[in-house]
Amino acid sequence: MIPRKPVPCWYKRLLYGLALSAGLMPVSIAGDFQWDVPQGFPRPFVPADNPMSAAKVQLGRYLFYDKRISVNGTESCASCHRQELAFTDGRAHAEGATGALHPRSSMSLVNVAYEAYFTWANPALASLEEQALVPMLGGDPVELGLKGREQEFLATLRSDPVYQGLFPSAFPNEANPYSLGNVTKAIAAFERSIVSMRSPYDRYRWGGDPSAISDAAKRGEIIFSSSERGGCFRCHGGWNFNSGVRFEGSEPPRSGRFAGFFNTAVTTYAAPNRGLFEYTHKPEDIGRFRVPSLRNIAVTGPYMHDGSLATLEAVIDHYAAGGRMHDPNKSDLIRPLNLREADKRDLIEFLKSLTDEEMLHDPRWSDPRGETRPGYRSTGSPRR
Amino acid sequence: MFTRRSLVLTAGLAALLGAQDKSPAIQVTGAVKQELTLTADDLAKMPRATVKTSSNGMETVYEGVWLHEVLKRAGVPQGSELRNKALASYVLAQAQDGYEVVFSLAELDPSFIDNEILLADTANGKPLFGAQGRFRLVVPKDKPGARSIRMLSRLEVVELRK
Repeated sequence: MIPRKPVPCWYKRLLYGLALSAGLMPVSIAGDFQWDVPQGFPRPFVPADNPMSAAKVQLGRYLFYDKRISVNGTESCASCHRQELAFTDGRAHAEGATGALHPRSSMSLVNVAYEAYFTWANPALASLEEQALVPMLGGDPVELGLKGREQEFLATLRSDPVYQGLFPSAFPNEANPYSLGNVTKAIAAFERSIVSMRSPYDRYRWGGDPSAISDAAKRGEIIFSSSERGGCFRCHGGWNFNSGVRFEGSEPPRSGRFAGFFNTAVTTYAAPNRGLFEYTHKPEDIGRFRVPSLRNIAVTGPYMHDGSLATLEAVIDHYAAGGRMHDPNKSDLIRPLNLREADKRDLIEFLKSLTDEEMLHDPRWSDPRGETRPGYRSTGSPRR
Repeated sequence: MFTRRSLVLTAGLAALLGAQDKSPAIQVTGAVKQELTLTADDLAKMPRATVKTSSNGMETVYEGVWLHEVLKRAGVPQGSELRNKALASYVLAQAQDGYEVVFSLAELDPSFIDNEILLADTANGKPLFGAQGRFRLVVPKDKPGARSIRMLSRLEVVELRK
């Protein structure tokens, strides 16, 4: 049997571009995007200046996985947000295109459309479009390292047959749709499309399937939701297991701009990892970080803002002990818990039931060119 | 080392898990004329009411019995009888995990205030289960949800002045 020769990447792009030009690819209009949100769940908040459309999401998907967005062509958004890891990267500290380590761990993008604020501790960053500029242009640390190369990157996109179809389709009323603003709008639209409510727990709690999770997970749910036992729901509450969501027609969470940030006494919070303090400069805000959603938490380790807890077991032990550091700013919600080893195992089984396996492999959010997979780099050197 | 309280809570949780399919019931005790043990079947025969809530954009329709109807059945002072020393009485609502909240009798009495506190046994047409317990209170006019106690097991009427 003769091994099949891989189809070159440029050839795929050419075919896609020709298909677009020939009208064989769907060209969408604003407002035609269909949310895959189960009955009972709210639709996400979408800013008025960036309405969803199928074409914009598709453009965002191509850009999200395009390594030419980085200074040396080695990284894309997907490098630190891998679908099979619920759009995290499995590392304690994200690594930029030039090798610089980020002081914090990559956050999941699942259900990011429902977040009111972005990153671990920046309450001023309330727009996903604005957030996308941080990894693209930021210099401390360098992530994608695009700063100073913006026009070169836009020229690359303009000359690519694939994007020659995608950009005009996504922004049909613009004479020159190739702008950095539109790049961030499209990436944000793609990220907003990553919604997930299909875990076994969703089927158990809201889907009418009492056998969708194990008895251990059911016991864990009770401990999680009990004020007297785990009390985990106090921070990780509601259907998205965080400190509040923003949805269609809503204002930012009622809990307030700074209320969803907590000091969990997990480290000494040395600069530059001082949390909310970096923005407010109030001593009492040292160590206060945003509460992440617990959806898909079993595949998003290592944990905490600094990746300092490697496993869910370590996380549960941390909280059961009431934090591992003495810290004057520690939230009063962090207190020793009387949890037996069996209780901890049940809690972990519950947390595992929050994994949406279908989302981890859903082709709607995969690399449209089929190039991104664990260990893959366009340069040919496997990623460690 | 476990405290006595934690052992009680652990036993309570074990009982909760074991008892979820065995006709769980609400105990109405304390300063009442008639102590009650109410199952879901008992509640189904009482005047039914619904409350619609919205939490993080998710709407839920709870159905059950107004808490004041339950207290009326137990002979707790209401209306014109709720005066003088009775106004210093309260209801201690207890969950199976040991969580407790209180309501004064006045804030449960529709002749004082339209508070709409529901003893719920279904959500969106399905019996409550799991971490909600078989019964819960729904207090839609409270801003935080802390008194919308889940896993409700007992309502104890306490007189401060006798």
